[in-house]
Amino acid sequence: MENKVAVKPIEIKQLGEQELGIQWSDGHLSLFQVRDLRLKCRCAVCVDEWSGEKIMKEKEVPQDVKPVSIETVGRYGLRVVWSDGHQTGIYTYDYLRQLA
Amino acid sequence: MLTEQEVLQALKQVEDPDLKQDIVSLGFVKNLIMTDAEVKFSIQLTTPACPVKEQLKEQSLQAVKLIAGNRVIKIDLTSDVKASAHKKAAVLPQVKNVIAVASGKGGVGKSTVAANLALALQRSGARVGLLDADIYGPSMPLMFGITASPHVNEEQQIVPIEKHGLKIMSMGFLSKDDAPVIWRGPMVHGIIQQFLTKVAWGELDYLVIDLPPGTGDAQLTLTQLAPLSGAVIVTTPQEVSLIDARKGLKMFQKVNVPILGIVENMSYYLDSNGKRIAIFGAGGGERTARELQVPFLGEIPIEPQVAAAGDQGEPIVIKIPDSAAGVAFKSVAGRVAQELSIENMKGPELPSDFKLAWKTK
Repeated sequence: MENKVAVKPIEIKQLGEQELGIQWSDGHLSLFQVRDLRLKCRCAVCVDEWSGEKIMKEKEVPQDVKPVSIETVGRYGLRVVWSDGHQTGIYTYDYLRQLA
Repeated sequence: MLTEQEVLQALKQVEDPDLKQDIVSLGFVKNLIMTDAEVKFSIQLTTPACPVKEQLKEQSLQAVKLIAGNRVIKIDLTSDVKASAHKKAAVLPQVKNVIAVASGKGGVGKSTVAANLALALQRSGARVGLLDADIYGPSMPLMFGITASPHVNEEQQIVPIEKHGLKIMSMGFLSKDDAPVIWRGPMVHGIIQQFLTKVAWGELDYLVIDLPPGTGDAQLTLTQLAPLSGAVIVTTPQEVSLIDARKGLKMFQKVNVPILGIVENMSYYLDSNGKRIAIFGAGGGERTARELQVPFLGEIPIEPQVAAAGDQGEPIVIKIPDSAAGVAFKSVAGRVAQELSIENMKGPELPSDFKLAWKTK
């Protein structure tokens, strides 16, 4: 099980002003509203590293927040630079798949 | 009259045991030429280090013999190393495969394995580089007897030092003598980035990276910056080493770097009668590999010559290639190349330099 073939994105696409689509290697297609993704950021600025408590203030995240760019990190995740300047989060493929 | 189709049909009976497909469908058969006197073709493998190449050649010979009549059959073995599925990076664009050699624990002989693995791959005919990313305790200058400093070329790139046909780069070439490197994380990150982007590696089939022990800054940086094709985990048979090997292995799995397998170093000592003495216990590496369901790549015996060869600047694969350890290293290199070939047939995957710019109205 340990060395099972990990499910990976094979295509990542902007689908509309606010929608992101990820096509996975097993055929699954995930659709994300980008603001929801921004609110789910797990980085240390958004979530307390020790307690796991959410410290991001959702109200302060603009309604029209969008990615500026999305790029891969190694072979395991995506880094998103957001229009509100936030860019410290890494969304691992495992995490994205859980959210999908 | 013998046709090309008939020869290919016959060769379809020959299967690559790793890739589980016949060599015709895999596109391995090239340059088929037939005359009344002979049948000539080459088999292009995915690595020159392929451990089953003689077997494939023999099977192909037998298969064609059945239909070739009196014609002489000539088979040429060539290789074209495939690049990892995700390899399109801005980082190391000319390197087809990047292999990380890691261990959870220090002192298990990771650098010895990395050096000999690189040399064995090189001696099989591949173009190979060796990056010593052990920032705090670089071993390659000593192991290869290199005292020179690398120079910088016109493109402002550091030129790696060549020894025994390997291109080598090490922190040890940059810091002098016994001066320790006392750095925090961001500095480590910086130098590793330089090794990956500012070194003139040229075209390589394999770049072997010797990692520092553990699961810290250097390892994480490499998994984020370097387009790693796979990782080799080195351990000794002892439980105390195996525990940490598991941790190292899991770190790579967390970041989706394929595990090529586990190498067990210091597996046994051969006494003067050729009897195996398992100093650190037997079978730990293989057991762990089975438990974690990753390939077991082989056992390397303890031989005083191995350590001596390393200390004298000539790793055992070069110095005494026929020694038990030398042969074991060669076999491990073959297995590593094999696992990489299997890994590289998987796909597709996002290229490692994937970037999506969001469009707004």
